Amino acid sequence: MNRDVYVIGVGMHRFSKDHIPKRDLYFTAGMDALGDAGIKFRDVGALYNGYIGGGMTEGIGFAKDLGLTGVPVTHVENASATGSSAFREAVWAVSGGQTDVAMAIGYDDMRLMGNPMSQPPKGKKRLPSMENIMLPAGFFAMWAQRRMHENGTTVETFAKIAAKNWNHARHNPMAQRRADHEVTVEEVLAADMVAYPHTAMMACASGAGAASAIVATEAWAKKHANGRPMIKVLASQSQSEHYGDGHIFMGAVVGPAYSTELTGQLAYKEAGLGPKDIDFVHVHDAFPIEELMYYELLGFCGAGEGDRMVADGETTFGGRIPFSPDGGLIARGHPGGPTGLAQVWDATRQLRGQQDKFQVEGARTGLVHMMGAGSICIVHILQRV
Amino acid sequence: MAKMVPLEEGYMVIPENPELPCRLIGSYSKAANKTYFPIRKLCPVTSEPVETVELSPIGELYSWSFIMMPKMGSREKVAGYGVGQVDLPEGVRIQAPIDGKMGDWKIGMKMRLVPNVVVTDSEDGTQYCGFKFTPV
Repeated sequence: MNRDVYVIGVGMHRFSKDHIPKRDLYFTAGMDALGDAGIKFRDVGALYNGYIGGGMTEGIGFAKDLGLTGVPVTHVENASATGSSAFREAVWAVSGGQTDVAMAIGYDDMRLMGNPMSQPPKGKKRLPSMENIMLPAGFFAMWAQRRMHENGTTVETFAKIAAKNWNHARHNPMAQRRADHEVTVEEVLAADMVAYPHTAMMACASGAGAASAIVATEAWAKKHANGRPMIKVLASQSQSEHYGDGHIFMGAVVGPAYSTELTGQLAYKEAGLGPKDIDFVHVHDAFPIEELMYYELLGFCGAGEGDRMVADGETTFGGRIPFSPDGGLIARGHPGGPTGLAQVWDATRQLRGQQDKFQVEGARTGLVHMMGAGSICIVHILQRV
Repeated sequence: MAKMVPLEEGYMVIPENPELPCRLIGSYSKAANKTYFPIRKLCPVTSEPVETVELSPIGELYSWSFIMMPKMGSREKVAGYGVGQVDLPEGVRIQAPIDGKMGDWKIGMKMRLVPNVVVTDSEDGTQYCGFKFTPV
């Protein structure tokens, strides 16, 4: 990066299964981040809106509620990685010198998104597209099935990961799924089957929500630290696909495993760190097979050793490397546009030591990973300085 | 017999003679000696031109699942349906629905490509098809 960049403010609207007006989601998350940073909207020099659903210029319309300041506003969309992409654009706007303060706001209601029927030419029939024949639940399940075939991974391992993330979310006030009891592996396994071997309690929570982050130069970060530690962006990396054996081009996909491996390696290199230096991790855990694979692909254990990490409790609080401390996509939720920014919200607050009952003790460095439709991978590394 | 046509042009060939196999249409890159599906504008590895080729109708099941959620674009409840990834001899992996029920599938088994009727025209009976695989 050309200039050092710091996260100076984060905000959220709780993720929820209720339909909440998107305009309200947006405003709440935006104002929360501005308040957290201790700045006014007029201080923001670039705004990146991340949403998947919604019509033309919807986000810029919502931004008017924050103020008419003339700030450049850009819509960013990269499927699940939309919020992460908006954050990355904000980081680069500051790093590249476009502005000293940039903001990213992500919002969505996953259940209001349109279906993939192709739009036919005039006079032609409206037919489904060839390109969108399969739900994400299908291809993540097939990844899990192949893992079971090749490594002997059990359904119980997937259930343990899901139960862990449900329990991580119990004390997160922004989480969509907040169980009133300790969620058990048996409960997860007994839930309705969604796509074998994944049950409904292993599937990410689909709902509505918003999240926001404000990044700035060191001078702004110092001025607005307000007694809190400063949170530096050590790495911001993104990769689209490279060709690999068995490459699937059609529709949204799981994506090549090496996307995460490569993007992670680039981020470690940029930060000058390795997996041993990371204190907690956020990943695109839409289903537990993903989290399991990312233990290995991000270098926290060797190939095929993820199951042992689960069995030994290494990825929960008190373990070697907690994953998804806020509940992850499985329990905190996954509305779409804001998901990557919710990760930044938690990562920033973890590094400041603000997460109370779901705090990773002594956290100094966090890694935040997101996939978008399997075709884009984004990794950020944040550190308390 | 009702006429079967692909949902979209450029993805598959459905012969009028039902005895002949349905085939997917892909791209072959001589420069990379690789085949891709669906067709590519250029070779994604070398950026060299590609030629359009028809792919083998039979492949090997790489992975599968049984889904209990509504199909893409629908909110209708379903009784469940299979999906699979099938490796064709050209080195191409295809994601598609698969025929059968839980217990019918085993990784490595042979699968054949067949038309998958998605919409039937209520006026002329034309069947608009995607594709799926069925165990051989």
